[in-house]
Amino acid sequence: MGSKKRQLAMVFDLNKCIGCQTCSVACKMLWTRDEGTDYQWWCTVNTIPGRGSPRDWEQMGGGYKDGKLSMGKAPERSDFGGGWDFNYDEVFYGKSAEKVPLRVVGEQPDWGPNWDEDQGGGEYPNSYYYYLPRLCNHCTNPACVEACPSGAMYKRDQDGIVLRDESACQGTRKCAEACPYKKIYFNHQRGISQHCIMCLPRIEDGVAPACARQCPGRLVFVGYLDDESGPIHKLVSEWKVAVALHPEYGTKPNIFYVPPIGPKPINDDGSIDENRNRIPDELLEQQFGPDVHQALATLQAEMAKTKAGGQSDLMDILIVYEWKHLFSEFTVDPVDIEQEAN
Amino acid sequence: MAAVMKSEPVYTSWKDIYRDKWQWDEVYWGSHCVDCYPGCCPMRVYVRDGIVWREEQSGSFDTIEEGVPDFNPMGCQKGACWSQSLYGPDRLLYPLKRVGERGEGKWNRVTWDEALTDIAGSMLDAIQEYGPHTIIREGTPEYSTVMSTVKFMATIGAQGIDMNGSINDFSIGLYETFGKFSPVSSADDWFHSELILIWHMNPVFTRIPFYHFIAEARYNGAEVVNISPDINPSHTHADYQVAINGATDAAFGLAIVQVILEEKIADWDFMREQTDLGYLVRSDNGKYLRETDVTGEGREDQMYQWDPDSGLKKADRGDCRLHGLQIALQGTFEATLADGSKVEVRPALELLRDHINANYTPELQQAITGVHPDTIRMLARKVAAKRTNIMLGYNACKFYHGDLIERAMCLVLAVSGNWGKQGTGIRSWASGMHEGEEIVMAKQAPGAQAAEAIIAAREAQFEAYKAKDPTATTEIAIRDITRLDNPPVASIPAFFWRDHCGYGERWNTPGWGDDSLPRSFDDYMNEAMSKGWWKEPPKDPPQVLIECGGNMLRRTRGGKTALLNTLWPKLKKIVTIDFRISQTALYADYVLPAAQHYEKIGFSIPTPHVLNLNLSDQATQPAGEARDEWDIYLALLKKMQELGKERGLTTYESYEGDTYNLEEMVNKYTLNGYFQDEEGNFDNEKLKDEGIRDSVLCGVLPFGTTLETLREEGHVRFIDMGVSPMGSAQASPIEKDKTFVPFRNHTEQGHPFPTYARRAQFYIDHEWFLEANEQLPTYKPNPRAGGNYPLGMTSGHNRWSIHAMNQANEVILGTHRGEPNIMVNPDDASDRGVEDDGLVRVYNDVGEFIVRVKIAPNVKPGQVISYNGWAGFQYTGWSGANEAEPGMVKWIGFAGGYGHLNHMPNEWQPIPVSRWTRCEFEKVENA
Repeated sequence: MGSKKRQLAMVFDLNKCIGCQTCSVACKMLWTRDEGTDYQWWCTVNTIPGRGSPRDWEQMGGGYKDGKLSMGKAPERSDFGGGWDFNYDEVFYGKSAEKVPLRVVGEQPDWGPNWDEDQGGGEYPNSYYYYLPRLCNHCTNPACVEACPSGAMYKRDQDGIVLRDESACQGTRKCAEACPYKKIYFNHQRGISQHCIMCLPRIEDGVAPACARQCPGRLVFVGYLDDESGPIHKLVSEWKVAVALHPEYGTKPNIFYVPPIGPKPINDDGSIDENRNRIPDELLEQQFGPDVHQALATLQAEMAKTKAGGQSDLMDILIVYEWKHLFSEFTVDPVDIEQEAN
Repeated sequence: MAAVMKSEPVYTSWKDIYRDKWQWDEVYWGSHCVDCYPGCCPMRVYVRDGIVWREEQSGSFDTIEEGVPDFNPMGCQKGACWSQSLYGPDRLLYPLKRVGERGEGKWNRVTWDEALTDIAGSMLDAIQEYGPHTIIREGTPEYSTVMSTVKFMATIGAQGIDMNGSINDFSIGLYETFGKFSPVSSADDWFHSELILIWHMNPVFTRIPFYHFIAEARYNGAEVVNISPDINPSHTHADYQVAINGATDAAFGLAIVQVILEEKIADWDFMREQTDLGYLVRSDNGKYLRETDVTGEGREDQMYQWDPDSGLKKADRGDCRLHGLQIALQGTFEATLADGSKVEVRPALELLRDHINANYTPELQQAITGVHPDTIRMLARKVAAKRTNIMLGYNACKFYHGDLIERAMCLVLAVSGNWGKQGTGIRSWASGMHEGEEIVMAKQAPGAQAAEAIIAAREAQFEAYKAKDPTATTEIAIRDITRLDNPPVASIPAFFWRDHCGYGERWNTPGWGDDSLPRSFDDYMNEAMSKGWWKEPPKDPPQVLIECGGNMLRRTRGGKTALLNTLWPKLKKIVTIDFRISQTALYADYVLPAAQHYEKIGFSIPTPHVLNLNLSDQATQPAGEARDEWDIYLALLKKMQELGKERGLTTYESYEGDTYNLEEMVNKYTLNGYFQDEEGNFDNEKLKDEGIRDSVLCGVLPFGTTLETLREEGHVRFIDMGVSPMGSAQASPIEKDKTFVPFRNHTEQGHPFPTYARRAQFYIDHEWFLEANEQLPTYKPNPRAGGNYPLGMTSGHNRWSIHAMNQANEVILGTHRGEPNIMVNPDDASDRGVEDDGLVRVYNDVGEFIVRVKIAPNVKPGQVISYNGWAGFQYTGWSGANEAEPGMVKWIGFAGGYGHLNHMPNEWQPIPVSRWTRCEFEKVENA
């Protein structure tokens, strides 16, 4: 590996994302089933526009302003919601005779990891929405690392993964205050913060992260940002069709998104407006910054080529003829990993 | 594949916690053998300390066709946490016996022997009092339970209720048109489309493992159009959203056809060969000109075309091809009848043109559908120019006039030449390719010889049929033999609901059916019975219900309350066999724990979508006292035999008059002990091994395929569709390096369609169709079933669960609001003072249910979306949305006596509908 600094990155193609939550569930099954992590969903998929997870996270601050760390609010347990227990036994065996339906135990919830699913925005028939998967951005300028007073957080040189030494974490939650994406959770059982580890043990074995490898939409690219032969570099740096979420937060995220092209809107007289996308450009710019316009223009120009019967190198990358091409060198099948004897 | 050595970890304590989570002892192939269709997701099941710890998609499919994306990594969020149901709180571990009232929730744990003794006793009571036909089971496509249940019921002469007639997964309009309802392309063929019309389907929810082919086709230059009243999730990656008025799709489709014909951009030769639109229709009576008209003898179903050079030409019933002959598609001609009289005849296309020019120009249809005329013209030109694929789900068929909607869709494809080629067609549902399993069920003895004897007998039967009718293809022979095989009448669900569940009254309610008809519902039904189109089924009250894989109280349109008040009191014993507690289990007398899919050997439901047989191996021992269904039924048979001996009962007769011998049943079920292990338990592995071998003998699986090779590879691609009714109905070869598309035998070989007219039939001159003005595809308004209420309730499969299977899964419950809801438009909510997540009572003349509201501007004003599949026990009073569904059937389903319009199991019969049921909702304060 040497001493060269490298950065692992991911590209999520939002023109393929269907909000199915397989990435979220794959992550949960692997990492967050213990007490204290039960409400944590390191990977979430939310409907945009919407308040997201944690609720109203875009209003919570954090990141860098004019190059200076700007502390915001650490999301509370209630901002995330979820982690519910249900009254199964009462329903099935409680002699309730139809009186008790399956419900969350305790207070009626008013938020969760995917509370505003499929609600979206606009007015009928020009309603619109799309799906946005989110996880730790493993930022190049990780505000969480700078904010951590106990020195528990660090960014690895060899792959840029942002980690927290959980034995050193003192649970100050400064990281969560600093993270502008609010993807850091507090483990109330252990008194520490936790976030996506980019499936570190899988990466160590050459296996793509669970959210990527298990995505049935085939939309999650994985690889090193500087690997010029890989799809990440091509999409982010050459074609520039993959852009960061809220680049204005100043942390230089390493999770990138191919912006969505929704259907065309309908005019007042019921005819179709062929010249616009029903997802407002302003919304996409608010989400992905001004670079999104060039990304969309490039995408649409290349899509027009194949529609006219021509060929496009960009479309070939995004189509992903062979599934494994999503993952650069992280193509090991987990079943081929030799297990140590217990 | 070489093993990769686990890289040397740099041990630091906190990381080891995570590394330790990434450890396992054993890995097995797994899949989810439920009615998840198309399913077939190959998974790896990771076992640790004997416990299934997690699963992950295998990603093991090879590329089929160069330049087409592969299938990997098939799966979804439900499959990714399927293991939760092994150890979750809804898992059944021990036999339970009801001790309170039904539904009261009072249970005692009992031994298997106690449970089986009581159940077997009730079964013998039913047999002795009425006969084995009063022991019933509901049809279900849940693959891991079907074969064992069917075999058990057949062994004792009991009665299964038809699956598709029950759940209405039957595309009736496709059947009326093609004589079969089950064309299915492989999902990767979608990539070849240039125009994808998502129409009565929501693949973003229901085709999670395959949706990528649509997104990838779009990148490849295809245009995607989502046609639905609500701006549903499948609009997200479409180029166009057609926000159509609900239930008006037939008018929309016919307007597209109108433009294609009037702009003369149709595929005329395709229409001439593939359809009946060139058949001559008599102007005097609106019926086809028949051989019996012209000669006074011959075939009643022999029709004519018009050869511009020589006049009347008999339509070739054995071959669609015309070899360049331009039979007339327009014009008025004269034919001489046998009695010498003259009659005016015109090609059916002329009648169609008159019909659509008068009613469905782009301008005229706008008043019905709300779709702008420019949109119709734009789409019509695209359909005519592009390889077009209609992505149809089982939604249209659940409309009262769903057949008319589907016939219009088929017509859109017919006029544009869009089937039988890659990237084209319309999709439905098919399975049945793993024929070896069927052979095993029919065998009298184990081994290849017995299988070969069945295969030979089967082929001889087809050949005999074809010798009698040389115009018949094997496909037609298979279908007609299935129809003529005298299918049991008691199996038709509509009769079951009428005779035992009190539905007849609803069917005759004015306004709920088709008020444009000159006669009442009962009038038609009585005519159908008196003409012998259907036989009266036995009226004896059902005595024992065995629910295995089904969930009657959750899913029956018409509601739990209706069944609890009518059917339940008749039943002496209600038995649910399942691995989880279902809505129906809560109202059962006995609940028997079955092994879950990772605890027994099985396959996911084979389908042309994936074309693979997927093994789901036993990864761990059944939890608690759960058992494989095959073994449960074997134990039940042994118990029946034992109790029969005590009662001195050895033989009895079925309703059909066949004799059953209790002493032979165990031997029949196990092939004389062949499928039993040393302890006498059922050996399902041996059965699976036998089935695979027999499938190889049938020629549907490659030579050399065995259980052993499947355990290595996990799955194997079929090489032939075989001779099951649904498999052979695909009418196409499987090529090893090509995506699969059905109907190639029709377009490339000229094979006739299995319809009355032997073509894709758009003109149906059955008396009832003529009387109802439905001889041609037409638009009829949706009846106001449920009463005169301002809102319409629609449905569709949900994202979060395979039917109700995963609804109680705690992980899945965390991915939404954790409770059922209906989705409504903000205006409709505010008009009623309801806020997001507020509680409402949804009601109509049928019933009511209480539910939370999700407010979304993508719902059409006036629409209430209640996604299907929530478990009943998730609702207040355990009463779900089916409480408000009347369970109507369209009278036309009783039609018969007309070629393909004759009872066919899983296909032609009356089917229940539910979409756009009228309703209203109001705010309630407390549940």
